[in-house]
Amino acid sequence: MRHRFDFDTLREIGDSLFRNKRRTILTGFGIFWGLFMLLFLVGGGAGLKQMLSANFEGFASNTIVLVSMNTSKPYKGMKEGRSWQLNRKDVERLKALMPELDVVAPIVSNWGQTAYHKGNTTSPGIKGIAGNYGQIEAPLIKYGRAISDADVEQERKVCVIGKRVYNELFPEGGDPCGEFIQVGSVFLQVIGVDFSSGNLSINGSAADAVMMPFSVAAKLYQRGNNVDLICVTGKKGVKMSSLEPRLRSIMSREHLFDPTDDQALLVLNTEQVFSIVDNLFRGVNFLIWLVGIGTLLAGAVGVSNIMMVTVRERTVEIGIRRAIGAVPRDILSQIIWESVVLTLSAGSAGIVFSVLILNVVEALTKHQAAFQISFWTAILAALLLSVLGVLAGLAPALRAMKVKPVDAMRDE
Amino acid sequence: MLIELKNIHKTYDNGQPLHVLKGIDLQIEKGEFVSIMGASGSGKSTLLNILGILDNYDEGEYHLAGKLIKNLSEREGATYRNQMIGFVFQSFNLIGFKTAVENVELPLFYQGVNRHRRHEAAMAYLEKMGLTGWAGHYPNEMSGGQKQRVAIARALITHPEIILADEPTGALDSKTSVEVMDLLTRLNREDGVTIIVVTHESGVANCADKIVHIKDGLIEKIEDNRAHHSSVFGTDTIMK
Repeated sequence: MRHRFDFDTLREIGDSLFRNKRRTILTGFGIFWGLFMLLFLVGGGAGLKQMLSANFEGFASNTIVLVSMNTSKPYKGMKEGRSWQLNRKDVERLKALMPELDVVAPIVSNWGQTAYHKGNTTSPGIKGIAGNYGQIEAPLIKYGRAISDADVEQERKVCVIGKRVYNELFPEGGDPCGEFIQVGSVFLQVIGVDFSSGNLSINGSAADAVMMPFSVAAKLYQRGNNVDLICVTGKKGVKMSSLEPRLRSIMSREHLFDPTDDQALLVLNTEQVFSIVDNLFRGVNFLIWLVGIGTLLAGAVGVSNIMMVTVRERTVEIGIRRAIGAVPRDILSQIIWESVVLTLSAGSAGIVFSVLILNVVEALTKHQAAFQISFWTAILAALLLSVLGVLAGLAPALRAMKVKPVDAMRDE
Repeated sequence: MLIELKNIHKTYDNGQPLHVLKGIDLQIEKGEFVSIMGASGSGKSTLLNILGILDNYDEGEYHLAGKLIKNLSEREGATYRNQMIGFVFQSFNLIGFKTAVENVELPLFYQGVNRHRRHEAAMAYLEKMGLTGWAGHYPNEMSGGQKQRVAIARALITHPEIILADEPTGALDSKTSVEVMDLLTRLNREDGVTIIVVTHESGVANCADKIVHIKDGLIEKIEDNRAHHSSVFGTDTIMK
C-alpha cells in the first residue's frame, strides 16, 4: 500500500479543492482576509512610525537642553523675577563636575537677521555652535564640512547653511563652498551645506539655519560670555532623568537661585519625548498584532468549522474511499493536507494582496516611508499559516477518520 | 473454497441488543454467481457487510481465499478490501467531483500505482464497459446504467476475488436493470469472476446460479438455479 506523499497525492488534494470551488473559496476567505489584515496593519504601522520618526531624525535621543529663565522664588535677599544667563563657564563647570555627561554644547542664537547673496535674500535663524554640536543634532552634510573646534577657537568667519537657506541664496544650485554670504552686516564664508530635515530642533530647524562658530556669534551679537542654551548628552547607559537634580543644584549654586525653583532653569529632556513616542508605538504595535492575530485565528477557526461541516457532507465520499482501500491514515492526511494547502494558498493570496496594497500606499504617500513588509515577515506569516493549517485540519480530520466504510452504503 | 462462513453470529447493541445473524454457514466456490435474497430486516445487508469486510462479527469464522478474516485492524481490513473485493452499490457511489475514468482509477491510487498505468488500466475497463467516450464525463452527466457500469469497472480494476453487489439494480429502470445483470452474468461466464448479488428482487436473483434465501438471520434454503427459471416463474415471489 502507498504511504508516501508525492505528486499524485498533491493532485488528489488539488482536485478535491479545485473542483469544489465555492466551498474552497468560502473556506479560504477567512484566512485570506486575516493575513491581509495582519500584514497590512503591520506594514502600515511600521510606515507610520517611520513617517513620525522622520521628524526626530538625526537628533540624539538622550539630550537635555538647559535654558535660563527668570526666577520665580526670592532667594538670599534677591527678589523673584530676577533674570540670569547661562555662560561659557557653566559649560566648563558641567564638564568638570559631571563625568556622566558626554557632550556639553553651548548655543548662541539670533533672529531677525537677513542673509544676502548676489541679490537673493532670506531670513535665517542664526546659530552659534561649537564643534561638538554635531553629536546632538547630526548634520547631513551635502557639500563641504561642518563647523569644527578650530573654527570656534580661531573665531573664523565661516558658516554652514541649511537646506532652505541654500536653496534661496543659491537658486542655481551647485557647490557654494568658498562663496561669501552677507549676514546682517558681516560677510561669512560658506564652508558647508547641511541637508538634514529633522523637524525636532533647537532654536529653529536646521534647514532654516545659518550656523557659525559660537565664538563668532557671541562677538557679533555682543553676548560676552553668555550663551542662550546648553545642550548635554549622557554617556552610554546613563539615564538622563537621573541627571536633572544634579544639573539644577550645580546651576542654582552658581547663579544664586533657589535650588527648589524649578522655573528658574528650564530642563528639556528629549528622552521623555522619545520614550512617549516609543511607548505610543509599542502600544500601537501591540494592538496591531492583537487585532491581526485575532483575525487570523478567527479565520483558522472558520476553516476548521467549515471543514467540519464539509466532512459531514463528504461522509459518503470518505466512506467510498475507505471501502475501496483507503486506510484511516490516508483519510487523515488527505483532510490535513487539504487544510494546509487551502490555508497556504489563501494565505499567500493574502500576502500578495497586502504587499500590493502597501505598495499603493507607499506610492500615495510619495515614498516618504517604507510601508512594505519585509521578506522575513512574509516568511514568518507563511510558517504561521502552515501551523494554523495543520491545527485547523486536525479536528475535521479526526472526525473524518471515524467515518466507517459502511457509511458509503447508506443511501441518502 | 473461496468463501467459507462457519456459524456467523452478529448482534447490534444500540441500547437494546438486536440479534441479526443467528449462525450462518455458507460456502461459495471460485467462479460462482450467487445471489442472496431476503426481505428487509432479514440480515442480508449485515451478511454482505461482513462478507465485504466492512463490518466485523461476534462469533464464528470467515475465511476468504484461505485467510481468516477476524478482528482485523483498520489497515488490514482496508488492504484486503482493496485487493480482494470489488463493491457495486445501489446508489453507484461514484465521487461526484471526479470524472468517470478518475473514479475507476481510485482503487489503484490507494495501491500506489502510478498515474500513467492507472489511467491505462481504467481506460481498458471503461472500454470493456463500452464507455470509452464517457471517460471524461462527470457522474451527473451520465445515466443510471452508465454510472453503474462505471462502478462495475471500478470494482473490477483491482482484479478482486469477488464482486459484491448490493442491490445493483435498485436505482435503475427495468431495461437498464436487465443490461447491468447481463453484464454481470457475462463477467461471470466469460472471465470467471465470482459474483455475489444481494437483492430482494426475484428477477435479479434469478440471474444467479445459486440463490441463498435468508430469513430472520438464518439461511432458509439454498436453491440451485442453474436452469434460471426458479424464482421468476416460481411461487410466492415478488416481481418488480
